[in-house]
Amino acid sequence: MQTFFQTLTTGLSDGSIYGSLALALVLIYKATEVINFAQGEMAMFTTYIAWALMGHGSTFEWWAFFATLGIAFVGGAALQQTVIRPLERASVLTAVMATIALLVILNGLAAWIWSPQLEFFPSPFPTSSWVIGGVHISKQDVGTFGVVMACVLVLWLFFRFTKLGLAMRAGALNPNAARLMGVRTSWLLALGWGFAAALGAVSGMMVAPTVFLTPNMMQAVLIYAFAAAILGGLESPVGAVAGGLGLGVLLNMLGQYVHPVTTELRLPVALGILLVVLLVKPAGLFGRVVVRRV
Amino acid sequence: MRRLGNPIAFGVLVVAVVVAPFLFSNYRTYQLAFVGLYLVALLGLDILTGFTGQISLGHGAFMGIGAYTTTILVVDHGVRDLWTIPLGGLIAGVIGLAFGIPATRFAGPYLALATFAIPLAFIGLLKRFPHFTGGNVGKNLPQLKAQLGWHTSPSIWFYVVCWAVALVMLPVAFYVVRGRFGRAMRSVRDSEIAATANGISTAGVKTLAFGISAFYCGVAGSLYAIGITYVNPDTFPIDLSILLLVGIVLGGAGSLYGMLFGALFVEFIRISWGPALLDLFSKVHHVDTHAPGSGLVVYGVVLLLVLYAAPAGAAGLARFSFGSRTRIIRPRHPPGPPAKGENA
Amino acid sequence: MRKTFLLVVAALAVAAVVGATAGARPTATPGVTAKTILLEGTYPLSGPASGYAPIPVGMGAYFSYVNAQGGVNGRKITWKYDDDGYNPANTVQITHKYVEQDHAFAIVGGLGTEPQLAVRQYLNDNKVPQLFVATGATTFDRDYAQYPWTIGWQPDYEAEGAIYGKYIVANMPNAKIGVLYQNDDYGHDYLRGFKAGLRSKQSQIVTAQAYDLSATTPPAVQMAKIKASGADTLVLFATPTPTIQAYVIGTKLGYKPTNVFTNSVSATDPFLTIAEKSGSNIVEGTISVNYLLDPSNPIYNKQPGMKLYRSIMAKYAPKANANDPLQLYGVAKAWNVVQLLKAAGKNLTRAGLMAQARKMNYSTGQKNANPFALPGVVTFTHNNFQYPISQVTVVKYVNHVFQPQGKLLAGRGALR
Repeated sequence: MQTFFQTLTTGLSDGSIYGSLALALVLIYKATEVINFAQGEMAMFTTYIAWALMGHGSTFEWWAFFATLGIAFVGGAALQQTVIRPLERASVLTAVMATIALLVILNGLAAWIWSPQLEFFPSPFPTSSWVIGGVHISKQDVGTFGVVMACVLVLWLFFRFTKLGLAMRAGALNPNAARLMGVRTSWLLALGWGFAAALGAVSGMMVAPTVFLTPNMMQAVLIYAFAAAILGGLESPVGAVAGGLGLGVLLNMLGQYVHPVTTELRLPVALGILLVVLLVKPAGLFGRVVVRRV
Repeated sequence: MRRLGNPIAFGVLVVAVVVAPFLFSNYRTYQLAFVGLYLVALLGLDILTGFTGQISLGHGAFMGIGAYTTTILVVDHGVRDLWTIPLGGLIAGVIGLAFGIPATRFAGPYLALATFAIPLAFIGLLKRFPHFTGGNVGKNLPQLKAQLGWHTSPSIWFYVVCWAVALVMLPVAFYVVRGRFGRAMRSVRDSEIAATANGISTAGVKTLAFGISAFYCGVAGSLYAIGITYVNPDTFPIDLSILLLVGIVLGGAGSLYGMLFGALFVEFIRISWGPALLDLFSKVHHVDTHAPGSGLVVYGVVLLLVLYAAPAGAAGLARFSFGSRTRIIRPRHPPGPPAKGENA
Repeated sequence: MRKTFLLVVAALAVAAVVGATAGARPTATPGVTAKTILLEGTYPLSGPASGYAPIPVGMGAYFSYVNAQGGVNGRKITWKYDDDGYNPANTVQITHKYVEQDHAFAIVGGLGTEPQLAVRQYLNDNKVPQLFVATGATTFDRDYAQYPWTIGWQPDYEAEGAIYGKYIVANMPNAKIGVLYQNDDYGHDYLRGFKAGLRSKQSQIVTAQAYDLSATTPPAVQMAKIKASGADTLVLFATPTPTIQAYVIGTKLGYKPTNVFTNSVSATDPFLTIAEKSGSNIVEGTISVNYLLDPSNPIYNKQPGMKLYRSIMAKYAPKANANDPLQLYGVAKAWNVVQLLKAAGKNLTRAGLMAQARKMNYSTGQKNANPFALPGVVTFTHNNFQYPISQVTVVKYVNHVFQPQGKLLAGRGALR
């Protein structure tokens, strides 16, 4: 039982990271139908910015955390306006390709500016653990989980209860109608990218203390975030977070309990389960299947 | 005859392919051989993505399956490498078909992300069964050498093999997309609802397109293994799948001759053009041409610039210049009320 | 139809521009002119392995230094390297370019086990030296008879593993050992050597946990199992990121082994500092091995080799971080390359270079030891012994510095 809870807490903490990045993906997908491949690298890049703001030091600064969120927000919006917007009229494939180009550029740029060397990134939480009934619960894991969930909550409140949030949801749901109703959809898309970038920055800063700062630190996380997003349903923010948590727990449980699943097969097996879920529910666990009339 | 593509264009291509090795150095010939095999892979992916409208982020793995088929047959069973090329295609094609049956039930973006799992699973399996695949250390194939009693340099031999295959596979691709099945594919791409209304089995068309594209990539993978003379999991990273998709988009999804551009880009951008551009840039502005990451930045910027210059790829550019009635891929927001589920 | 026709013509035009640069004319000995020697190598300058990017910078700095002194036998060294992203498919194509287009004299210091395995046969078939590959995979030294144009340089992983095994037998005979190793050739080489060094004490390995680099999740499950096994001696045969993670996860789980061994690839001051900053309390006292001067340890500052190293870096690579052990690795290797080129004489040939590489004897006794290696380290190859550097010294991490513990040990001797 002790092992079970140990695995569960580790899984939830991993999963909250996947969930936050998955949520960022869903935000952009809902607004533009584009899967943003650069999401992970945007998170990585902003984490480097936070690191620079903290003076490459060994203590975490909350002011730098919030400053980074601001920079990420502006940066994300700027990227949408400069890089993605000119391709607004091109096919989805071309737009996706642009995000791939962005991924490559940001990855290279980070290595160029800050060197590809592994660096330490401080965590805002103490490294010690609570021991409850023999289970070591890392304060860092709990803190990560808390910060990510707080961000998700703030975003949800924003979309639910503010006028701007309502406009963004309208813009995402039906861009043409929203445009006709006087909503400036182009700027709303920029806002969407801004929020997604800020959310990505949170996941980057939370994951960096455990995977350490390198230009490639988010690539694995991005893969899991993709999986989480489709598991939950690309249209569903709640699903993205739930999918992330579920995937985190699943991966850790597989590693702990299923013996034939040696380390190499953990990822394929998790993905296989994902495909089975998709077969049963083609729009993800939380997605609505739109009935098509022929 | 038209069904096999424009005979004049094909003729020009054949002449150019024959002449090229006489004009270029041995090493460039070796690189142009890779252009040939990438052309095969891109033709296949274009059938799936450009003509059927299904995005795949995993076709590098089908190249991997072809490559490993060749490697294992040649290294462990002593089969002559040439005979393994169709086998590599067949095995990749069958696996692609099998994967296509469930996968094509997924809606657009779900399919794209599901295909993302193929290379990941493929790499995991390679490492899991090292006695069969060589694991991380991989396997060395015999070095390139002219065969069939012909004495020429290994590069030219490889070039001839690759382009012989490519020049067969190109008209075949035309045959596929110009026939009844091709019309079915395009109608699935343009509107699944309309396709279904016309009695087309969309799942069947998508699955078959998946199988055909995997076959093409498997053949390309066989050639790849023969040319690289080495396979291990690192040679088939996720980047390769993405690079193939880049090739499709830059060539112009939905155009077969456009894939020539895609293939040139795929082969040359990272190992030739990128470094050359950096060198050029360093003469104007002082930069360290070997700074870590600089090569990636150049690659990304070039990709982005090409996308701006030709959002519909090289073929789109040609179409733009000379006018055409065909659309490559449906626009993102089709006219009329865009229902979310429409592109499911 | 005009469109497709134009497309084909345009594609061919692009191809023509691409291929227009013909290769340089081969000379008597490729890559050697009256005034220059061309050396080339592939390195990961992008991607997950790009942490190794400083190595060719260090090598370049040393070659520039030698060129400024007038070069080797009147010839200046031209040093070129390219990014292969650690993808063997790129390594192969770039190496073809080096051999067929650039006509490099030798491929020097190519990095990575798999990328170098991919080009080994090609280089041997073409009789191009594959000199001092940057990997400790045993095969590059052991299989010299099959691959006469290939030679490694650094102590091989197997020998290093054996040293740890012997050290445990000698100093902590009752240790209960838990091993974390990377599930590939790298990890297996270490583990094989380690078991050989332990000999009859192999049964003291209470658990050996593998992790996979591509699984990309920290080795949390493995560390929990090692803790549960009750091992009091933790042995890490991992690459840098998982190594640091193992330290941190161990602490999080409340695991406190008496001794920690970490292989030399991952045991550098920058990596262990990250582990400590991340909250690990089991870093202090880590045992590893070293064979080169350590720029982060002040006790070496008075060594002439270290002074020379710092002056070379200050002059020829001023932007590089001279405290990075990888830069020193590059300089030390470049020193060795230059010695070979000198010994191969004025009439430089590829075969002549390899002949010198097969009978190296650089030692303090000969007054020609590698100045950048630890005092006393010998670079020695002879007949059927082709492991250039095989001596190491055990080092212990105390107060952010690896302190040498006792004399040099013969790594290859430990295996016998």
